[in-house]
Amino acid sequence: MSSLLLTVIAVAGMSIAVTATYVITDDLHESMGERFIVEDVWFTTDQISLYLRNVGKVSINVALVYVNSTDQSFTSLEVEQDNHGWLNVTYSWSADSAYEIKVVTRRGTTVVDYYMSPS
Amino acid sequence: MWIITCRRLKRDRRGISNIIVIVLSLVIILAIVSNVVLWSYEMNNLDWEKIKENVIITNVEGDTYGSQFTFENNGGLTVHVVSLWIINSTDHQRYDVSVFVNSAETKTYLSDDILLPTGSYTVKVVTERGNRAVYSGS
Repeated sequence: MSSLLLTVIAVAGMSIAVTATYVITDDLHESMGERFIVEDVWFTTDQISLYLRNVGKVSINVALVYVNSTDQSFTSLEVEQDNHGWLNVTYSWSADSAYEIKVVTRRGTTVVDYYMSPS
Repeated sequence: MWIITCRRLKRDRRGISNIIVIVLSLVIILAIVSNVVLWSYEMNNLDWEKIKENVIITNVEGDTYGSQFTFENNGGLTVHVVSLWIINSTDHQRYDVSVFVNSAETKTYLSDDILLPTGSYTVKVVTERGNRAVYSGS
């Protein structure tokens, strides 16, 4: 009876360990596999549009967009692997000015660069 | 020798359980480490390939029938151009393209769908690995 109980405990313990291994490595996989670029930035009336391309191994989900270190509202965007799409950020920009735009994904990958608005 | 070892193991079952625990723990640790290391290696390889890429647009010509773009690959790897942008002051037009340029090769891409705008414009191409090349013309 005691050996049966010990076997059950051992199997349960191993199952927990294997599940934990899967969860930990899966999260790491996804975090390490995220890569994306900003193909283009287009300044239109009260809006900045960024064209994102996913060049990584997992899909990306945009969580935050900062313009000059202030978070802005934007249309939600999820880009699958090898796909691309527009990310529209609501922002009243001024002509002929430099803007620091930072895009942050749900997993924490960040792409930041400076862009000049048209004159 | 083998028979003696088996007899000893039968007598001392506590020893077997210890060995099983150690082996299974090692299997789990090995699975975690190898999984992370292999994935890390793959992503590092991806970044390395991106750094090695070097494509430039050497010439852009256009008329009423279409446009011609000349790409030069100065890097050590084959480049796959996947996106082409025609940008001017009023429009940002994107086209899906698929052009492979081998290392040290110059390739011309002709398209009757792409018309260059009047006035000054910028042509931008994006590669599959995420690199860009820009050409300004008028």
